[in-house]
Amino acid sequence: MIDIVVPADRWDSDDQAVITVWLVQDGATVAAGDLVAEIMCVKTQHEIRSPSNGVLSIVATVDSVVSKGDVMARIAA
Amino acid sequence: MSDIQKNERKLTIARGMAEAIAAEMRADSRVFVMGEDIAKLGGVYGNARGLLAEFGDQRVLDTPISETAFIGAGVGAASDGMRPIVELMFVDFFGVCMDAIYNLMAKNTYFSGGNVRVPMVLMTSTGGGYSDGGQHSQCLYGTFAHLPGMKVVCPSNAYDAKGLMTAAIRDDNPVVYMYHKSLQGMGWLGTEAGSVVEVPAAAYEVEIGKAAVVREGSDVTIVSLALGVHHALKAAVRLAEMGINAEVVDLRSLVPLDRETIFNSVRKTGRLLVIDEDYSSYGVTGEVIATVTERSINILKAAPRRVAYPDIPIPFARHMEQFALPNAEKVVRAVEEMMGACS
Repeated sequence: MIDIVVPADRWDSDDQAVITVWLVQDGATVAAGDLVAEIMCVKTQHEIRSPSNGVLSIVATVDSVVSKGDVMARIAA
Repeated sequence: MSDIQKNERKLTIARGMAEAIAAEMRADSRVFVMGEDIAKLGGVYGNARGLLAEFGDQRVLDTPISETAFIGAGVGAASDGMRPIVELMFVDFFGVCMDAIYNLMAKNTYFSGGNVRVPMVLMTSTGGGYSDGGQHSQCLYGTFAHLPGMKVVCPSNAYDAKGLMTAAIRDDNPVVYMYHKSLQGMGWLGTEAGSVVEVPAAAYEVEIGKAAVVREGSDVTIVSLALGVHHALKAAVRLAEMGINAEVVDLRSLVPLDRETIFNSVRKTGRLLVIDEDYSSYGVTGEVIATVTERSINILKAAPRRVAYPDIPIPFARHMEQFALPNAEKVVRAVEEMMGACS
């Protein structure tokens, strides 16, 4: 099981972000590098890509407020 | 290429628009994009993301804040054989550049006896709901649909957004592509979840001028466009719980208007309600109602109704703006009254 976490390197502050959209269904089969979600911090959107191949389970749903390091989804190989 | 299974890939309208533009730019070197904050930022509504990196600054251009100049330039380029996509960031800003739009873009083909084509896409954002004031929140659908010489489209979801953009770019006529900010998938504008749908990666067209029956029903026809379609679908779920079966028609195009689909639906249900976030008077709602009543009043079981924006400037204050906007609750109430009127 590999976690997709809110990345720490996209913005400088410790501001929280919001999950604005999941671009795959819960339970979708994804590949490493696939665009799976967008998150927003201070009106700027950031792309979230899958780190590995597998079946994606959404942990943080749309409109969830998340911090750097929080688990957004899990991928089962 | 993505390994996400075809039936599982979803896009926002913003991504659907950008994907259509990128595909047409790859296929046709005459296609280019310009507008304020289009290139480096990728559009304030995300609809040009990734284009500068792939196509460079000769085909993806940031313009000065002078709509008169760059929309005029777009008309010139289109008349000279290019296929420009030009963004008017807020439809509310049409005032300064309307001569280029409705006297030049819309009429050059007619004035030249068909010798000049103007294959231009004017894409522009519409709608409010996020407290941006009366000069950043209008829809103005009726204003553009009223004037001859331009096609007008308004997608409600990412599938239609991509297919209508592809069709608009390939069309030899000027097309005004009006996209609602609350459907773009940009978090800060609020995002309507129903607009994020499965979208094929390959290019396809959604025919301009064809409405879609997005929910079938037998008691009342609810006609709308863009965000209003989502109000209609939510209202239909609540109405179903009350035993009222609503059919929902998504216009998708205002010009040409698919009068046949509207009429056929109302002939089936006998009742018509039109939702529009544009101003109530002299607009889309009146046109849709006239489409039915000009042809027959015998099919109606109740007087047609509209849920539209009142004829007032859009307030900045959140509670005042929300009070004035159409929503599912207003639609449910209006339909209940219509059903009561005939029982």
